Amino acid sequence: MQLVDRIRLGLAVGVAKAITTIVRSLRLGAASVLPGEISRRLHPRLLPSLFEQVDKGVILIVGTNGKTTTSLLLRTILEERGYRVVHNSSGANLINGLITALLTNTNLIGKLTADYAILEVDENVLPLVLKDCQPKYIVGLNLFRDQLDRYGEVDTIAQRWQKAINSLPQDTVILLNTDDPTLSYLGQQLSQKVLFFGLNEPELYLDEIPHAVDSIYCPSCGHLLDYQGVYLSHLGDYHCPSCGFHKSKTGVDSRQWPQILIGVYNKYNTLAAGLLAREIGVDLDHIFLTIKNFKAAFGRAEELTIKGKHVRILLSKNPVGMNETIRTVSDIQKIGKASVTLLVLNDRIPDGTDVSWIWDVDTEKLINSGGILIVSGDRVYDMALRLQYSHAEINGIASNFKLIIKENLQEAITTALQYTPTEETLHILPTYSAMLEVREILVGRKIL
Amino acid sequence: MELIIGWLYPNLMSTYGDRGNVICLQRRCQWREIEVKVVSLDRQTDTTQFARVDLIVGGGAQDRQQEIVMRDLKGAKAEALREKIESGTPGVFTCGSPQLLGHYYEPALGQRIEGLGLLDLVSKHPGIDAPRCIGNVVFEITASPLAEELQAILGTKPVVIGFENHGGRTYLGKVEPLGKVIKGYGNNGEDGTEGAFYRHAIATYSHGPLLPKNPFLADWMITKAWQQKYQTDLILTKLEDSLAIAARQAMLHRLELYNLIATI
Repeated sequence: MQLVDRIRLGLAVGVAKAITTIVRSLRLGAASVLPGEISRRLHPRLLPSLFEQVDKGVILIVGTNGKTTTSLLLRTILEERGYRVVHNSSGANLINGLITALLTNTNLIGKLTADYAILEVDENVLPLVLKDCQPKYIVGLNLFRDQLDRYGEVDTIAQRWQKAINSLPQDTVILLNTDDPTLSYLGQQLSQKVLFFGLNEPELYLDEIPHAVDSIYCPSCGHLLDYQGVYLSHLGDYHCPSCGFHKSKTGVDSRQWPQILIGVYNKYNTLAAGLLAREIGVDLDHIFLTIKNFKAAFGRAEELTIKGKHVRILLSKNPVGMNETIRTVSDIQKIGKASVTLLVLNDRIPDGTDVSWIWDVDTEKLINSGGILIVSGDRVYDMALRLQYSHAEINGIASNFKLIIKENLQEAITTALQYTPTEETLHILPTYSAMLEVREILVGRKIL
Repeated sequence: MELIIGWLYPNLMSTYGDRGNVICLQRRCQWREIEVKVVSLDRQTDTTQFARVDLIVGGGAQDRQQEIVMRDLKGAKAEALREKIESGTPGVFTCGSPQLLGHYYEPALGQRIEGLGLLDLVSKHPGIDAPRCIGNVVFEITASPLAEELQAILGTKPVVIGFENHGGRTYLGKVEPLGKVIKGYGNNGEDGTEGAFYRHAIATYSHGPLLPKNPFLADWMITKAWQQKYQTDLILTKLEDSLAIAARQAMLHRLELYNLIATI
């Protein structure tokens, strides 16, 4: 680095640190974005120069669902092997959030001390990051429809990823979910080393393809894909009867792997983090040990005990995610360990301002499981309406479920806890901003 | 006696919870013990199936999916759909569907997609950098005779509440707009019109989805479908819509449209 660059970097870092201190001391927030924004103005090539300073390389985690959990598992595995890891753990995954996360680990002259940086990156921002930054590893988890009010379409995003990754050095390693046709196809188009992960457990196939599915069409020729079975959404075993496109082989037997937390989606998160750790050089025994002892990230199948009642928070921010959390809750209800569910629907910027996606969720499955359903959030009546229409009989007359509407979230939580027997678990399914609010009420402090 | 709901390309054209419109029609029939069946009208469907439906629902699509639909919806299938709409089969077409019924749609990238030309309208995307029209939308139905018929049932002017999210802008020719925008962008953010109305077909950018939040439209469609099929009037029993009303009031409060709250 040239002297001028060094001074400029030091200046940008100094200013960022000062802002962080001010924001935090005035209790204006967690300072997870603003320092990055301002220091980038002082040093436009700040992000690439921070990337270059990470000793063993930057790992980017992209995908619609599972970024935070995958990152946290990978980070835990690496830290337990003694590596120093930087991670944008607040979930701020746009450019300024990445810069802020890296800056918090620099000293006053801008020297970063880390072996690895794990950065969760918003799917739409990835091409922008890759324009002038060079990660060592990229993990692609999945591409679902999410927040279309902000973005375009799944196909367009995949094409932009391909273009951006193709311009990276040949020694970049890409790890992709082969059960996702869009990502498997993407991997087949890349010139770098590509590793695939996926499931080989047909007993986990869903009975039918859920409605909330985006890409059952061949990414190569547009023909309808032939599915032998689906694990969740459009992730599964498939091939194209027209052009012969088929999923790439994984070279890993998912049956041999333990999994973190609960749910099929966490099998994918486990494989993604575990396989990348193995590629980095961590041995399987250590990886498996961390998997077995893993604790959830906030709101992602996180478990809490509140006033003697057991609570599990399952972030539900899009149709695919919510179908999976409903599947998890139903399975637990079947064995008699749950009967009360609280749904919290918000429509703020981090949630997506359009709530029509709840009509793509198979809430009928929740109704069929019976029990007590409590609804709350900014759009409490929209959620209640969705549940009303999930039942073949108006108002669920003569049915085995009870719907309770609480505009006030505090009251909703209190009611939910009251109804939950001590030997059962209360499940809370919130959107993103709702999850932050729920946690604040439950544990009494802000996390972001 | 039963009503058949034809759902246009469920796997290709259901981007924004448009399934809610199908669910709404289906449930409101079931709750009244009217026999109802939902059939998919997609690539595997025989043309004759198109001719059998009593209600049509079409939703939004991504550009690539819309192209696949338009490739399939040609010749006999297009003719069958045209025939249905011309003969007065009620339909609700949201988001991408109105573009499909118009003359053409020009996407931001790629080639012009020809529509069925049933409605005299065109849609254009002003370019990849142009902002999308996104947000909660409120409009008054003004199309005749729909507006009068709804007013007779409701006792007040019919107000639709929904959510719009479209890159394309629609410009009407000699077709009546569905309504006039109170809050939001509507067809193009310029002329204050929203959607289009032709025979018994409702075309609109408003999803949310449309029918559950505006159940009077669903009931109007069911009534028309019944008349069309059995040539007799169907007197609908009133349903418990307090949750829909509460959802509508909550949105009007948020948008500070207090003068409309009394009319809900």
